[in-house]
Amino acid sequence: MTAFKKIEDHLRKEAKNLLEGGKVTLVLAYARGFDEKHPVPCVVKAAADADHLVFNEYCTYNMARYLTRYPVGTKIAVAVKGADSRAVVQLIQEGKVRRDDLVILGIPATGMKNQKTGEVIDAKTTASTINPVLYDVLLGDEIHGVKAGSPYDVLAEFEGMDKDARWAFWKKEFERCIRCYACRKACPMCYCDPCFMDASRPRWADKSPTDDGTLMYHLTRFYHLAGRCIDCGECSRACPVDIPLHLFHKKVAKECEAMFGQAAGMNIEDKPAMANFKGEDSDQMLG
Amino acid sequence: MSFEPKILGIACNWCTYTGADLAGTTRLKYPQNLRLIRVMCSSRINPSFIIRGFQLGADGVLVGGCHPGDCHYGTGNLYARRKLAITRKILEFAGMEPGRFRVEWISASEGNKFAEVVGEFTNQVRTLGPQTKFKITKDGQ
Ligand code: SF4
Ligand code: SF4
Repeated sequence: MTAFKKIEDHLRKEAKNLLEGGKVTLVLAYARGFDEKHPVPCVVKAAADADHLVFNEYCTYNMARYLTRYPVGTKIAVAVKGADSRAVVQLIQEGKVRRDDLVILGIPATGMKNQKTGEVIDAKTTASTINPVLYDVLLGDEIHGVKAGSPYDVLAEFEGMDKDARWAFWKKEFERCIRCYACRKACPMCYCDPCFMDASRPRWADKSPTDDGTLMYHLTRFYHLAGRCIDCGECSRACPVDIPLHLFHKKVAKECEAMFGQAAGMNIEDKPAMANFKGEDSDQMLG
Repeated sequence: MSFEPKILGIACNWCTYTGADLAGTTRLKYPQNLRLIRVMCSSRINPSFIIRGFQLGADGVLVGGCHPGDCHYGTGNLYARRKLAITRKILEFAGMEPGRFRVEWISASEGNKFAEVVGEFTNQVRTLGPQTKFKITKDGQ
């Protein structure tokens, strides 16, 4: 079991020290929302505010999402759980943030819960990375002996489906999309400004939530996240109509890993898979 | 009337498109179902082109580039191979018939291969019938 209280205390202490010592200008973590079951993302800039920070099982937000909002060179401390730390690594690989600008506060956590449903988030949804892969300070003890399970097991059901059934499934899911773009907003890797969906020349897709525009949006977004999605699941949790976007992202991640031999955000020395090629790539991948 | 598929072809300037030219100048026959678009390199192909092609009514999409190692720009098609491979997986997972999308490396001297591939692919798509999944039918443009 994750010692949430201990992590919270440690988080407050670290945040305070870092801000007081002038090591960072802001700390990205969590604060209490309207009750403790609904924490909110929080940016702390003054040491005195560090006591507002919280950490509990509902702190699912991926705070790496906020890194790219600040100019490169801003000194930032960021609280990250397992998958979130992979987002930081991926952002470093992509040159969007610099390792030297960051103090990474790693949080090993299991038993996180979905704010909407109260369900425990496991590998079926998106908790396959338990311990942060990169950190400066670890706010809790590393967790060993808990089997996270493969992030891809949940896909078997969909891979086993007939293609027409799969199309029917996604069509039905996408039909509910209201194009609020919360998925894009929640995703740490969706930092493009403007997003291709907001472009008017070329106009890739309808701005209003027509079925074909939605299809274009999602398929392109799945492609844009290829080799970059770190399986935090924030897209699905952010979605107001509960479209299981993470399933599709998992599938793309699985194929990327199989074809290109690397999972996203595991190593800062890696090059992003889609901005790279290797001698051993073969035409087999074209199927 | 029997079904005649619309095939969208996207070919790189230096190899496949030149191969198509060669097929033409050597008077080879290939089906007229193909609408060929020329891009400077296969790595120029944004996967959204392919999705858009299907949406606007293509029954099949054929992408052509230089053989790996022969790219005019050195490595363009090596990046393209990865992009197109993942595009293929995405189309499949969305439920598109895998047979409607194909990537072929065709060099400038392979006019024969170009004609053969187009013929083969067109027949394959013809047997699959009209593509209805992505095709825009009502609103939208
Ligand atoms: S696509 Fe979803 S699961 Fe993947 S990194 Fe973005 S928010 Fe996380
Ligand atoms: S969050 Fe859900 S409803 Fe909003 S754009 Fe994304 S998929 Fe559509």
